[in-house]
This record gives sequence, C-alpha cells and structure tokens, in this order.
Amino acid sequence: MRREIPLFITAITGVVFIIAYFIPHPPFNQIQDLFQTWFQIIAAFAIILGVLNLMVVNGDKVYRRSKGWGYSVIIILSFLVMAGIGTFKLGSKASPLEEGTPFMYLFYNVYYPLTSTVFALLAFFVASASFRAFRARNKEAALLLTAAFFVMLGRVPIGDYLTSWIPLKWLHLSTIANWIMAYPNMAAQRAIMIGIALGIISTSLRLILGIERSYLGGD
Amino acid sequence: MSEKLRRKGRGCRKGGLIPLAAFIFFLFLWDGAWAEDLDTLPPSPPREVTAFDTPNDAGGSITLTWRKSTDDGTGAGDVTAYIILRAERKEGPYKEITKLPAGAVRYEDTTTKDGVDYFYKVSVSDGVNISESPPSQAVHSKAQWFNFKRLNMLLAGFILSLGIVYFISRARAGKELYIRKIAGLDAVNEAVGRATEMGRKVFFIPGILDLDDVQTIAGLSILGQVAKLTAEYGTKLEVPVCRSVVMVTARETVKEAYLDSGHPDAYNDEIVHYLTDDQFGYAAGVDGLMLREKPAAIFYQGAFYAESLILAETGFSVGAIQIAGTAMPSQLPFFITACDYTLIGEELFAASAYLSREPRALGSIKGQDLGKAIILFILGLGVVLETLGITGFSQLFTTQ
Amino acid sequence: MADTIGIWVAALLTLFIFSFLYKDNPLYKMAEHLFIGVSAGYWVSYLYQNVFKPNLYNPLFHQGKLLLIIPLILGLMMVMRLFPKIGWISRWSIAFIVGITSGYYLITYLQTNAVDQVRASLLNFSQINNIILVVGVLSGLIYFFFSAEHRGVLGGTAKLGIWFLMVAFGASFGYTVMARISLLIGRMQFLLGDWLGLLH
Repeated sequence: MRREIPLFITAITGVVFIIAYFIPHPPFNQIQDLFQTWFQIIAAFAIILGVLNLMVVNGDKVYRRSKGWGYSVIIILSFLVMAGIGTFKLGSKASPLEEGTPFMYLFYNVYYPLTSTVFALLAFFVASASFRAFRARNKEAALLLTAAFFVMLGRVPIGDYLTSWIPLKWLHLSTIANWIMAYPNMAAQRAIMIGIALGIISTSLRLILGIERSYLGGD
Repeated sequence: MSEKLRRKGRGCRKGGLIPLAAFIFFLFLWDGAWAEDLDTLPPSPPREVTAFDTPNDAGGSITLTWRKSTDDGTGAGDVTAYIILRAERKEGPYKEITKLPAGAVRYEDTTTKDGVDYFYKVSVSDGVNISESPPSQAVHSKAQWFNFKRLNMLLAGFILSLGIVYFISRARAGKELYIRKIAGLDAVNEAVGRATEMGRKVFFIPGILDLDDVQTIAGLSILGQVAKLTAEYGTKLEVPVCRSVVMVTARETVKEAYLDSGHPDAYNDEIVHYLTDDQFGYAAGVDGLMLREKPAAIFYQGAFYAESLILAETGFSVGAIQIAGTAMPSQLPFFITACDYTLIGEELFAASAYLSREPRALGSIKGQDLGKAIILFILGLGVVLETLGITGFSQLFTTQ
Repeated sequence: MADTIGIWVAALLTLFIFSFLYKDNPLYKMAEHLFIGVSAGYWVSYLYQNVFKPNLYNPLFHQGKLLLIIPLILGLMMVMRLFPKIGWISRWSIAFIVGITSGYYLITYLQTNAVDQVRASLLNFSQINNIILVVGVLSGLIYFFFSAEHRGVLGGTAKLGIWFLMVAFGASFGYTVMARISLLIGRMQFLLGDWLGLLH
C-alpha cells in the first residue's frame, strides 16, 4: 500500500494534466495555474524540513565542538536573524520586504554583495575554462573555440572596429557572429531541443506508468 | 468611381470666374472646415456581419466577422473606423464596445457572459458620418470540451507515446534490445571505483531546481544508480541539495538503493543534506565542501544555471573525475569544457535506464529512437515538399 | 552611519568571497557560512511572506477558498517526515508533484521542443543557409540515436552532428563571456566607486 497509492496518485495527476491541455472548458483550463500554486505551497511547507536539517547538522557540530564548529555558529546565528526579522517582523512593524526595514538592510548589505560576488567569480572561471579548452587540441575543441571567438568579438564594438575596413560586409565580425548564431548554432540547438523533448516524453511516460519509481523509496 | 464620389463631385460643379474666386475666398476663410461640411454622405455600411461563439476556447468570447465597407480602401476611401456595438435585445439599446481602425474585418469580443444572448452591429465612420449594419443574429458564448486546434498535438503525442509503449512491452516480453555505448555513463563505474581506491567521497549534485522539473527527477533516478554503486563499494556518498522537497526525495532514493544492494546499515539520512534554497549561496556552500572534502568523483545531474561553471571549475581544481548531465542548453558548453564527461540533453533522460539495464526502461529508449526516426522522415519529406512549393504539409505542424 | 557600516560590510564580504580565487581561507569560510545562513533565512521569509500568507493562509482562512485544504494537507504530509513512524505519508505529496511534473512536461515539451521545432525546420532548399540549418538538425538528431553503433554512414553523420553541436556550444560560450565580465566590472565599480570613492 505504501507504494501502490503513490503510484496511483502519480498516474492520475499525470494523465489529468495531459488531458487538460486539450480541454479549454473550466476547470481544466485553470489546472496548470492551480497546481503551480499548490506546488509552491507544498514547497513552502517542505522548507521547514530543509532548514531544520541545516540547524540540526550545524547544531550538532557546535555541540560536539567538531572541527570548524565556529563556522556552524555563523550559519545558525545568521539564519535565525534573517528568518526572524523576515518572518516575525522583528525590529520593524512594516512588511519586511518594504524599503527601509532591517530585513532589507541586511538584504542590500549582506545578501546582495555575497550573491553578486559569487556570480562575478564566473568571469575568472570562464577564463580558466577557455584556457583549458584552448589546450585540448582536438577538432571538437577547436570548433568550439573558433565559434566562441567569433561570437564573442562579434558582439563587442572592438570586433567591428577591427573588421569594418573590409569592403565585403559579410566578412565583418558582427555579420559572421550573427550568421553563426542564426544557422549552425540554431540547427544544433533545435536538434538538442527535439532530443530533450523525446527524452522528457519517455521519462514522463515511465513515471506515469510506474516503471520509474526509485523516487518513492522502498516499502 | 463609387456612387458616393459621383454625388460629391456634382456638388462642386459651378461655372464662372467670380463664383470660383468667391469659392477660393471662402476656402481661405473656412480653411479645413469646409471639406467636412461638404461630406454629408455616410460611407456604405459593412456587409454580412456574422457573430458566432469563438471556437476552441474557455467561453467568454464571441467572434464577429464582416465584409468591409465599399468605401474602405476603395470607393471614397474615407473610412476611418469601425465601431462595434452590442446589445442584449435586438431592438437595443446598442452600446459601443470598441473602435477599430479602417481595414478591420474581424473582432473578438472577450467580455461576454456565457449563456447570455447578444446582438451585434458594426458601424462604419468616415470621421463625420456614420452608417450602421443591420443587427446580427442572437449569439451566446460557451466553453468547449475539446480544442480542435490541438488535434495535431493529440496525434503527435499519441503516435510518440504508442511507439514508446510498444517498445516497453516488447522489452517486457523478453526481447533483447541493443543500446549503443554512452561514454559518460560507462565512466560512472570508473569514477566511483576511483573514489573507493582513494578512500575519498563521491559527490552528487542534483541540480538547483525543485522536483517540479523533470530534469531533477531524471537526476534523482541517476542518483539511485550511483548510490547502488557506492553502497556496493562501501564508498562514502554526499548529496548536498538546495531544495527541501528534493532532499526528501533524494533520501528515499538513496535509502532504496542501499536497501536494494544489501547494505541498509550503510545508509543514514546525513548522506543527503540541505544547504540553502539560494542559487549562489548553494554554489558557495558546495564549493566550500569540495575544497574541504576533496571528493574523487563529482556528478552533476539535473537542471543547472550559471552556477554550473562555478561548481565544475572548483571540482576540476580539486582533481575530481566529473560527470555532468543537463538539458539546459545554455549550460552545456561550460560542463563540456570543465568536466570529463557530459551527458547532452536527451542522454540525461536515457541515463538511468542505461545504468539500470532494466528491460522496460531500455525499451522506452528504443521508443525515443523511433520518435527520432519519425521526425527525420517528416523533416526529409517536408523539406522536399517545401522546395517544390507545396506548403500544406508543414502547416499541419503549426501548433496553437 | 548605518549606510557607512553597510557599505563597509558589503565591501569586506565582496573581498572575502574574491579571496576564494587564491585559496580556501578562514575569511572565505566565514563569508560562505554567513551566505548560507542569511540566504536560507531569506528564502524562509520569502516563502512565508510571498507564498504561505498570500496563497494559502489568507485565501483559505479569510476568503474561505476551501479547495486550498488539499495543498494544506499535502504540505502537512510532507512535514510528517519529521516523525519516522508516519514519514512514509510524505510519499503521497511527492507522488503528486511527480505526477503534475511528468504530465505538464510531457505535453509542453512535445509542443515547444518537438513539434514547434520541427515546424520551424521545414524550409525550402532555395537558400544555402536553409540547407545548412536542416542538415544541422538532421545530423544532430542522428548523433542522439541510441539503437545502433555509430559506424559507417550513421557514424559519419553523427560526427557531423557533433561538429554542429560544438559550434553551437562555442557560440553560447562566446555569447556569455561578455555578460560575465560585466558582472565583474559591476563588483569592481562597487569597490572602487561606492566604497573607496575613487570613481566619479
């Protein structure tokens, strides 16, 4: 029973969702929005499990004084402060997501610089990854790098500056870049997309038919 | 020349020089206004006004079509607008619901109440005069039970699904099915084996999206296969996740795998742990874990965004064997440059079937190939027909 | 005063994260753990304020939208994981999510990724570019063929498909590089301008 009912639920909801696509009549036309909201609600409940796990794992480290327990204290405290003022409106009567609240102060001065700096690390990682592709010395890597080179230069002013003197317009870097994007790139993207569609259809069918069921665990 | 133009022309025909001078004088005096005064004739009304319930919809909409006024574009050519009028009784009162520019021949009124009868008139204006069409027949809107515009999708879905189900049932009947080697998946054993030899951990990153993305589910199925190997080899597995629902599901999956391979004692919930829901917070946390734990093998299987390269470059720097797989086309280049093996798009979805060697799952991969064969055939045929100037075939594939 | 402290905190955290490029160190570790804690707290608040209250609590308890009892129950079932004896009930919620996901993805990807892409690729061969596009799609698809070994004609076509894929990957790579560099420039502007006041 612990597996049969869930398998049944998956099959029914999956089939209803597919059928709903073809039925414009209410309530089928609203099912997509409805279930999307339902999913968000379930996820909102589930985050309790996630953060409890985070607290238990780090609390345990602090309790045992295991290596680096001080960092666990940072996690626990910063979580409690942020979640506390964000959920219970501690320190301000206004809605936490309004400007000028302690929540937004932490958002702008702690959360935002952290998130945008980690994102900015990518500039360095893109450089190191390109360097490695450059050293790979096989035909595939050469194709990848050549296309990357043309598209990168074709998108910045210097690219056109370098080639604008050439009388044949189709030899300008921006023209070449646009052509790569519109034809060979588009062709491969379509092949990937069609493949993905087939993979998803097949995976979804396996789930609906109950062939793929490892997500349900054992009995 | 339309009748209206002829009538207009007649009004101006006066002989003699003096009247002409007087006319020009008045012309200056009245400036533009005279022209309007002159046009006392209304444009011809729109014809064949038809109102019908908009098909294939959820109700709340009636479509109107009509034939243009003869003075719209042709004739006097002075039509400036069409005005749509609506009433709930034939005799009125009619209320204006919208104004459309000249040239319009169709309008969809999306403000109707289902089941209520409406009457429509379409009037035409030349800026001064208005003429109305006779009222339409009574019409009411309602919701439909089938969207016929999606008939092609129904057929496509049916054919592809049937193909997949056919191969699944053939596999179940015991028919041996051949699947070619997929390099990235053959390396899974090697990667876990290497971690075992080195006595280091295996990391599994199931992407950053939640369980409401099929890529995540496909990634978790692969996790099930990887976990079977780590259970057999007695290798430590760590699965940091950034979604709580994924945490719960990944635990079920790993537990089942450990149970299946006869090592239930080696399982504990700590294998799968939550970091944060935040994309870059998660990336920073996983990077830290990689640097400190130095895993020998790292799997990235699921949906990834910009953090893909942050993770994969850090994984590379600690010397791990890295096997990635995603259906996010924008992240594939980064995985390809930074990882040892990358499953591209469709390969991600075939992976768990390939690794499990479960006949029915393998059958579904065969079904995918049948789908590809059908699409190749359609592409070939369609291109030939298009080149011959026959466009009807490709129209069949227009979706709405 | 609060603003000055804020900018200093932001600037130091920015530097701590960048220090990761040199090597793992206590300052990065501190910033990393702070990031995990703060962002987890942020998302808890976000889900509470933007999902739980407006999509469940208010409509269910103040507007009487009783249908929302279903996700409420599914959500509570999920939380039952906390109690080992009845934790298995969370599978019902998981099964529900997997069901809607598989149904939704099956049909939408069939449309947007399969049928629409096939439709867009049915081109006439009057232009060389159209031929390149169609050949790219065909050979790319053949690369994904699983049922036969990639040898002979099939192997050759699949190889052509790989080349197309590589050009496409290169193109997306090149397309993204500048966007990534501009992110770095953004952080530099913050450090040099907002913090140190060197840029005007």
